[in-house]
Amino acid sequence: MAIHEPGRRLMQAVPLKFVQKKISGGGQRATNASLSLTSMIDFLVVTVVFLLMTFNASGETPLDKRIKLPKAQNTMDMVDAPMVAISGSTILVNGTPLTGSTRDIEDNKRMQRIDELFNALSRRKDQWTRVTPNKPFPGVVILQIDQDVPAVVVKSVFQTAAFAGYPNVSFMVNTMPKSATE
Amino acid sequence: MGGIDVGGGKGGRRALDSEVNMIPFIDLLMVTISFLLITAVWTHMTRIAADAQVPGPPNLDEPTPVEPEKRLHVEMQSPDKFVLSWKQGANVISSVDVPRKDNVVVGPGGTKSVHYPELAQKIEAEWKNFGSHRDPSDKKFDTAILHTDNETPFVYMIGVIDAIYSAHRGLAAGGSKVEQVPAFNVTFAVN
Repeated sequence: MAIHEPGRRLMQAVPLKFVQKKISGGGQRATNASLSLTSMIDFLVVTVVFLLMTFNASGETPLDKRIKLPKAQNTMDMVDAPMVAISGSTILVNGTPLTGSTRDIEDNKRMQRIDELFNALSRRKDQWTRVTPNKPFPGVVILQIDQDVPAVVVKSVFQTAAFAGYPNVSFMVNTMPKSATE
Repeated sequence: MGGIDVGGGKGGRRALDSEVNMIPFIDLLMVTISFLLITAVWTHMTRIAADAQVPGPPNLDEPTPVEPEKRLHVEMQSPDKFVLSWKQGANVISSVDVPRKDNVVVGPGGTKSVHYPELAQKIEAEWKNFGSHRDPSDKKFDTAILHTDNETPFVYMIGVIDAIYSAHRGLAAGGSKVEQVPAFNVTFAVN
């Protein structure tokens, strides 16, 4: 049997023009690009692992949209405690607005007890002690206060919370990494 | 298509090579990434603590202090300087002025931050000189009292409290473990 030089005779039988062009080396550059599955899956797995490690099941702490919190560096982790928000002159306890406001304090520029806040916090403390009579009351309250609220309002809310039985007052802030100011 | 080789199959027998279908596998990874990205919390909220100094019930194990404790008073009423003074009762033990520079940084969304690095350094140095509770076994903390006028915006108060909390000390946390905690408890002066 005679030995023939290999050629492209088989390909000539393919009726598609663009395949013939491609095989024969004519036409333009290929439009299809191949993708390495191994590296792509590696990348996806690493991304999934990273996101799972940074995932927080507790979700985001509820924050009133009108409140702009200041930033701080030397902070502590959040704890589960009643949340008092001061937005403008409105006072909210765990998202529920109270009938009282901080308008009088801002106008008079004098510290005073906020009775509605005092009553709301005292009720919560009573409920807590009724539900868990054997545990000491932690007395923690977290204040969400807008960055531009004057000090007299901050001190009035602070003092009211202390009078209502919450001596451990925390201010909610945005975390700022220490390197940001160095 | 990707495949996993689990050994060669010999003729006649069922092939031991099985193929994993890559398309649903990649779909699953993509859906997981999308879910985690959508539910990710990018803003991390934390807290800065303060102490309202409300006296608790008397502790019989702890003797009543004979003399009042030293306390650091941080005064921020002046626009040019902070005044740091250690007082024991009515006696002023030490007083020092720290120049005040309000470097207000406005971030995205109008969020402000104020930092006083010089004040933080000075407070740390003052605590090292005069602080009473420095031993890791000591459960008590020194007290810093913040004096501010009534009009000062909250962001400036947080800036000063943040500077006070930059001073850290060791605290025994069971066994030989010592953890770093803020050296001061902060409270406000009523005026």
